Amino acid sequence: MAAATSTGSFTREEIENLTELEDIQTAYDQLCSDEKEVTEQLDSLLDQQPTLEGKMSTLHRMGPNLQLLQQDSEQLASMISFTCQLAENVSSKVRQLDLAKSRVQAAIQRADDILDLKFCTDGVQTALQSGNYEQAAAHIHRYLSLDEKVLKQSIPDAKEGSGIEHSLELLHKAEQELKVIINKEFDEAVANKDATAVDRFFKIFPLIGLRDEGLKKFTAYLCSQIANTSEQNLQIAIGTTSTERRANVVYADTLTHLFEGIARLVETHQPLVETYYGPGRMLTLMTELQKECDRQARRVVDAFIKNRAYQKKAQQVQQCMMGRTGTEKPDPKELDTLLAEVTLINSRAELYLRFFRRRVTADFEVQYQEEDRRKDKLSELDRLVRTCGLSLCVQELTGDYILMEEYFLREMIMKAVSMDIMEDGSLTSSMVDDIFFILKKCIKRAMSSSNVDLVCAMLNHATTILEQDFCEVLYGRLRQGFPSGFLDFTQAVNLMQSTIQQRKITSDSTEDTKTAFLATLNNAEACSENILLLKASLEDECSRHFPQAGEQGKAKLDSCLSDLASLSHRFKNMLQEGLAELDSSAIKPQVKPWVATFHSFSHNISEEEFTNYEANDPFIENFVVNLQSLLDSFKGSLSPTIYDQLISHLTNQVTHQLERAVMKTVFNRLGGLQFDKELRALVGYLTSVTQWTIRDKFARLTQMATILNMERVGEILDYWGPNSGPLTWRLTPAEVRQVLALRVDFRSEDINRLKL
Amino acid sequence: MEDYKFLFKIVLIGNAGVGKTCLVRRFTQGLFPPGQGATIGVDFMIKTVDVDGDKVKLQIWDTAGQERFRSITQSYYRSAHALILVYDVTSRESFDCLPEWLKEIEQYANQQVITVLVGNKIDLTSQREVPPETGLQFAQANNMAFLEASAKEAENVETVFMDLARELTKNARKYLLRNTETVDPNITEITGETTNISYGGCCGSG
Ligand SMILES: Nc1nc2c(ncn2[C@@H]2O[C@H](COP(=O)(O)OP(=O)(O)OP(=O)(O)O)[C@@H](O)[C@H]2O)c(=O)[nH]1
Ligand SMILES: [Mg+2]
Repeated sequence: MAAATSTGSFTREEIENLTELEDIQTAYDQLCSDEKEVTEQLDSLLDQQPTLEGKMSTLHRMGPNLQLLQQDSEQLASMISFTCQLAENVSSKVRQLDLAKSRVQAAIQRADDILDLKFCTDGVQTALQSGNYEQAAAHIHRYLSLDEKVLKQSIPDAKEGSGIEHSLELLHKAEQELKVIINKEFDEAVANKDATAVDRFFKIFPLIGLRDEGLKKFTAYLCSQIANTSEQNLQIAIGTTSTERRANVVYADTLTHLFEGIARLVETHQPLVETYYGPGRMLTLMTELQKECDRQARRVVDAFIKNRAYQKKAQQVQQCMMGRTGTEKPDPKELDTLLAEVTLINSRAELYLRFFRRRVTADFEVQYQEEDRRKDKLSELDRLVRTCGLSLCVQELTGDYILMEEYFLREMIMKAVSMDIMEDGSLTSSMVDDIFFILKKCIKRAMSSSNVDLVCAMLNHATTILEQDFCEVLYGRLRQGFPSGFLDFTQAVNLMQSTIQQRKITSDSTEDTKTAFLATLNNAEACSENILLLKASLEDECSRHFPQAGEQGKAKLDSCLSDLASLSHRFKNMLQEGLAELDSSAIKPQVKPWVATFHSFSHNISEEEFTNYEANDPFIENFVVNLQSLLDSFKGSLSPTIYDQLISHLTNQVTHQLERAVMKTVFNRLGGLQFDKELRALVGYLTSVTQWTIRDKFARLTQMATILNMERVGEILDYWGPNSGPLTWRLTPAEVRQVLALRVDFRSEDINRLKL
Repeated sequence: MEDYKFLFKIVLIGNAGVGKTCLVRRFTQGLFPPGQGATIGVDFMIKTVDVDGDKVKLQIWDTAGQERFRSITQSYYRSAHALILVYDVTSRESFDCLPEWLKEIEQYANQQVITVLVGNKIDLTSQREVPPETGLQFAQANNMAFLEASAKEAENVETVFMDLARELTKNARKYLLRNTETVDPNITEITGETTNISYGGCCGSG
């Protein structure tokens, strides 16, 4: 029973083992449904028979067509292989023809060569006899371009062959002969100083296979020319008397002549070399010339060092800077001329080396097409230029130059400091202009050398001198203080004592110290501005002197220049410190007692007293007069900007002190009104004396006046919180209550009840 | 506006040929230059590094060791925040010159400058003339940090510069912290995001 329900079909064995009728019935039903299913499948298969038969007959019909196709393709294959063979045949014939043609050409060439050989053999003899060396060289050149071995092989015939053999022999002899002649003639031309002849034979060398030798001889010739001229120029230089024009730069001029001479030689001979020797010869040529240039430059520089006592002066300077006493101090004026000559030497050498570089680089562009090779060659050139004898000379001079220029700058600055005076009508003292004049002069001179490292070193030194030495001078003066500084200590001391002290310091020297202090403030401000101006002007100069300084050079100059410019802040800060000092020694001690009188008269007043105050002002008029006279004592001595800053300091003091005084005073409504009037007068006055807006500094006091002017306590709420409108309260709620409490007529319960 | 927090100047000094230029190239460009020749005057390189999340710009001045450039190179000492004094461990002579270099530093550099002593070329083991202890002793006696390095094998080069960058940054942060209450733009110049610490002068308000 279990089996019958669980599965749908039965095995025979299962059926035979069935015993229960119910199970048999189930099995029977199952079998019946199975049979029905099978019958349906059979029917569907039978249905497909006609379609399949149709398809079969179509296939049978296609058989013969396939056979035809196979035959056709076989035919095609054989045709293709035939064509292929044909093509192969044709092309091999073309190849043969080609070969034949090239042989014919070679034969013609050889025939030509043999004819030329004959022609050259005859020609060279005549040319040699008539002294037409160009012609002879041309023949030899032609002969050298022939392949001797091939010529000999190509004619096996003994009779013909001997003729060629003979020609070759003759030509070979002529070649040797010509080489000797050209060498001799060239040497003779050199000895005779016959420039035309030198050029003439120089052109012949490459034709007869003496390219390297020709170039070598020629450069030697050029070098001897350079040496001669330079030697003469040097003798003239040494003989120059100090009164002659340009005597101060005579060594620089001698070097200039040397460089210009070489440049001229290169200018005139470069086309010759390029035409007759081909490109790529400039490095060799220039390197050889440079050796002579180095030799001659060294001689001139040595003479300069010796006759100008250059090293001796540098040593003296070094001793002085090390602080050794007893050494002779070099005269700045003498240094001035000497330094000018060194920068001239520097810039001329720089200019010449640039010319050198440019010439060779241009030649490289033609010679080396591949980027990498050219780069290698360029760095070789670079090294050559940087390490040549001339560069070495200049580097040595530069070392001492910087030493002396630094000394010169420092000396001149210190001299300007020591000769500092106040000129009438000037706010700054004389040293500021003097110092910036010297700075500009020295750095511009350094720039005229066209040597980036030299300029950077001088910029660094200028920064150091300004920051260390000069700042120290100014700070020293500020440290002397503003003479009324004594008040600081005597604030708490009584009036009598202070009058005694006042008498003691009222003297000329007080006035001087005052003036000096104020001038120092002006000086600091002027320095801070001048430094920025100097930087701008030097930047300008840089772009003129170093248009091709390269990334490196520009970055170095930029960095050193901005270091210098950053000093501007230093001086600004110094000014601020000075102003703070002035504030605490001259403003605060004055303002404090003046404001203190504020609560010595009542602000709890009757109608009558109020009107009385109007006629006889008890405080503010006097206060303003005091402020006025205090400011007047500074006005003429400070720059407008500093004066405005001073007023700003003064205003801060006034508001600060006045706030404190107000907080110690009691008011009634009329007293509040009185205070409001006083405040307006004060703001009005201070506004009238400065360019800057000071109203903001009075914001707290103005708000106090508003509060003190109220009819009743609650009125504050019309201005507070959501009702404040554009008004920003500068008083805290606690302060508002404090001010309200100053009113004698306001009840403290009302004030305490306020919700602020 | 360049985006960096601090700018430091580092100046390399030491005898000619001890490998200053190679150290700088190794650090800034990651290569060992083949035969670049002696430095003329000073060379100038920039590398911006990261120190605990802050961009720090290192301005590296590679000076020429040859005597005739001394007056140029001396002018850079004063504004340097750090000096790297290099000698060559295969050259006793370069080590023996160190006292002279210290004298130069004392004379020209500012008081706060940080100096690191570096013994270079340790890859040339068989040619060594200065043992590590000798270098270390000298450094300790003169209050300098000390490292041995090889520009060729890239050994310790990164460490030399990065240690320095960290030290300088640490000091600068301390400095800023100290000076934020009393805003003293005298020494701290804040331009945008950048802070320029200048050790410059002696000109306090006295
Ligand atoms: N084996 C080895 N050679 C080095 C190493 N560093 C530098 N050199 C070599 O030392 C020589 C001088 O290196 P530079 O970096 O030019 O020396 P420098 O200190 O810059 O010299 P100046 O510019 O003249 O002051 C070069 O030939 C370098 O290849 C190093 O770590 N290992
Ligand atoms: Mg170097």
